[in-house]
Amino acid sequence: MKIMNCPLNGPRNISEFVWGGEVRTMPDPNGCTTEEWADYVFLENNTAGIVREWWCHVPTSFWFIAERNTVTDEIIRTYPAGEVFKTRVDFAPRPKTQEGTR
Amino acid sequence: MAAVNALQPTDRLRRSFVYRILQANGAVFEEINGGAVAMRFGASTESEVAKARRLGLADLSPLPRTGFKGVGTVDWLTAQGLTIGPDSNRAYRQSGGELAARLAPTEVLLLDSLSGDGALIERLNGAWGWSTETPRKPIGYPMPRADSHCWFAVTGEQAPAMFAKICGVDLRPNKFPEGAIAQTSVARINGIVIRQATALPSYYLLADSASAEYLWHGVMDAMLEFDGGPVGLAAVRELSSGV
Repeated sequence: MKIMNCPLNGPRNISEFVWGGEVRTMPDPNGCTTEEWADYVFLENNTAGIVREWWCHVPTSFWFIAERNTVTDEIIRTYPAGEVFKTRVDFAPRPKTQEGTR
Repeated sequence: MAAVNALQPTDRLRRSFVYRILQANGAVFEEINGGAVAMRFGASTESEVAKARRLGLADLSPLPRTGFKGVGTVDWLTAQGLTIGPDSNRAYRQSGGELAARLAPTEVLLLDSLSGDGALIERLNGAWGWSTETPRKPIGYPMPRADSHCWFAVTGEQAPAMFAKICGVDLRPNKFPEGAIAQTSVARINGIVIRQATALPSYYLLADSASAEYLWHGVMDAMLEFDGGPVGLAAVRELSSGV
């Protein structure tokens, strides 16, 4: 079986992992257009080559980042998300008039 | 068969997730901390310890356990007097025999000692609370595990060979030292495997409580070819006392 190296748990069978999509910068959900949000949520670049993706080790629910070559399906590197996301991201609060419509 | 007046799991509010299976196997129950624990399975203590030394499966689910999680968790637990080392996926033994299993940098699973008195866990639950200062000091939050996870012990020389059939991680003693933790797939469900500090290979196995009966049957099935079987807490205590 293919083996993936989890930054928390070490090498594990690939069946213990699920893919979580490309690592992208999240647009401000209150400030972006519907098209930008739909693009962020639903659309993938589908790059042929080295991509940076979210992966989850399911038994621990540990999300991390993997660099993978989509042409050869070779996993180049895995590392904790903290290497990329070092600070908390705060978006502007929703306007008060829309509070009840969530 | 158990004696007519013997304690039955249904006599107590806290009972194991697999108590029906234990009853069907002729378990003799004793009360520990308000729960009915399977202490032995009718045979003599010597023969049950001998079985546990070869390959045994014990249910420890009624014994106390809990967890704490979140930023500041380890600092707070250390301030409460616990000894927790820097490595994740390691279990750190406490002075009272409890295990503090560090599952991640900010998550600790606490398993009571085999006496099951729950004193440390009770003290921590009593001590935990948000402070009134602002901004609030991060101390993590409780993560109760008594109802979410079943707790089994797999004991004996054949345990690594048995695990090799149902788990992808190499649990042989030379590869998986005392106190090591593997959070992985066991019999196709997510489980936490912790190697106990005992001379013989012995492991705690925790998994989703809703799958406890499935897991018990799955492990028991994998144990058949090694002539393994159910053992009680008394035998597990006997093995652990030889540390």
